[in-house]
Amino acid sequence: MDNIQPTTDPVRPKAPLRSWFDVRGRSLSTLAFALNRLTAIGLTIYLFLHLAVLSLLLRGPEGWDQFVALAKNPAFLLLDVVLLFGVVYHMANGIRVALVGMGVAHTRQKSLFYVLVGIALVAFVVGAVLIFVE
Amino acid sequence: MQSSMSRRSLEEMATRRDRSGSLWLVQAFSGLLLVLILGAHMIAHHFIVEGGLRDYQQVLDYVANPFVFIIEIVFVITATAHALLGARAIVLDLRPSAATMRVVNWVLVAVGAVAIGYGLWLAVALQRAAGA
Amino acid sequence: MTERDIEFKVFRYKQGGAAPAHQTFTVRCDENTTVLVALQDIRRDQDGTLILRHSCHHASCGTCGMRINGREELACVVKVFELGTPTVVVEPMRNMPVISDLVVDMEPFYDRFNAAGMPFIRESEYLEEAEVAEGLETYMRCENCIECNLCVSACPIMGTDPTYIGPAALAATWRVVEEPRGLDSRPLLDWVDSQNGCWRCHVAYECNEACPSGVLPGDKIMSLRRELTKRKFRRLFGR
Ligand code: SF4
Ligand code: SF4
Ligand code: FES
Repeated sequence: MDNIQPTTDPVRPKAPLRSWFDVRGRSLSTLAFALNRLTAIGLTIYLFLHLAVLSLLLRGPEGWDQFVALAKNPAFLLLDVVLLFGVVYHMANGIRVALVGMGVAHTRQKSLFYVLVGIALVAFVVGAVLIFVE
Repeated sequence: MQSSMSRRSLEEMATRRDRSGSLWLVQAFSGLLLVLILGAHMIAHHFIVEGGLRDYQQVLDYVANPFVFIIEIVFVITATAHALLGARAIVLDLRPSAATMRVVNWVLVAVGAVAIGYGLWLAVALQRAAGA
Repeated sequence: MTERDIEFKVFRYKQGGAAPAHQTFTVRCDENTTVLVALQDIRRDQDGTLILRHSCHHASCGTCGMRINGREELACVVKVFELGTPTVVVEPMRNMPVISDLVVDMEPFYDRFNAAGMPFIRESEYLEEAEVAEGLETYMRCENCIECNLCVSACPIMGTDPTYIGPAALAATWRVVEEPRGLDSRPLLDWVDSQNGCWRCHVAYECNEACPSGVLPGDKIMSLRRELTKRKFRRLFGR
């Protein structure tokens, strides 16, 4: 697109973070996008941490059981709840983005959002309760 | 309809095509696959077994199951690919130069290869430990 | 007829001048006053240096696009009282260089249309008996799109990457693909099958919300993607 003039604005230079995450006055779908991006970053970090932690298993039972004990303290469980939210939200919205982005049901993207994220929220509440009950 | 488009610009436009669409589709389908696998992964790990997090021996017994072994391997590959493609999309939105993007692509491929390699190695090692 | 004083916080900036700032004006409005009329009143009665752009006053020329209380709107059809706020904030569109006050440089927008060779410009279905103006061969129109740039201003991706083709030009491309009227649309599909084309869109759908003319650019982008997805699968399975 080199023949297209950049839309550089000398007055309000573009700040990506603001453009993605400033949802003031924007529609629901932008909120969905911002949350999706936020949870994506969180989940990516978690995925790699998770892989790294699993190597403890190779160090035998002591290392692992120590870690499990740590993971059962309430602060850690709270992190689990945050993680659970990230996972269920990213899943639900991801299904919507995947379908809509391929042009499937794209004219009904809003209802799709309500239904999927609704299911996700229910799953989240149930899961969060389970985390603390156990 | 009369088009004001010249032959040259048509040919020019056709050269714009790149692989981003295919990458996006990989991202979408790996995401859908992850919903299935991760759903199973989370439910199996945390909610089916009494007490949630299992102790050392339980984990080993669990991965010794060949079905679980395969699922976990598919999971590592899919999740890594999905995560790194997502990271690429975010970097792309930061307006990197073409040169930066080339470096980023290589870095992501390297990170992906290491992560998948490590995941496979870990799965096999655990399988062995469980068998021993 | 009820009249009330309404405050307008207007974005002011002149190239090469002081840093941009908001200036407040008070205008007497009634229930029929539109934001555009209020701005014209300011220009006539209070500050002749206020620069804005308009033409038709009825949502068809697409020149009066701006942000009103943060939302992309055509100022000519937004009634001040219907906004329901005591202060109305008026700012130029985003993602475009500001030329002066509320006027942005539209060239990047038209460049995008030109980049596609403007194949989506069609003959207008004007009245047979209407005379064609001097110097024109025929009247042309661009479907529903009134080229107002509001969708481009609203798009969060446009906000981070100016090389993105953007909602308006993508929607126009879809119109050709949908109804080629004898044109080979493959090069156009190739054009949008790219990093800066329809795969760049993150389904934020702000463009749909912003469009005053029912183009629904977001839906059109997804239609393009459906077409391209089908094409890719066909290629994958060697058909
Ligand atoms: S749907 Fe796509 S083009 Fe429309 S505002 Fe969102 S990112 Fe931009
Ligand atoms: S698609 Fe709609 S918002 Fe965008 S330029 Fe055309 S009329 Fe305006
Ligand atoms: S003045 Fe023509 S659209 Fe508003």
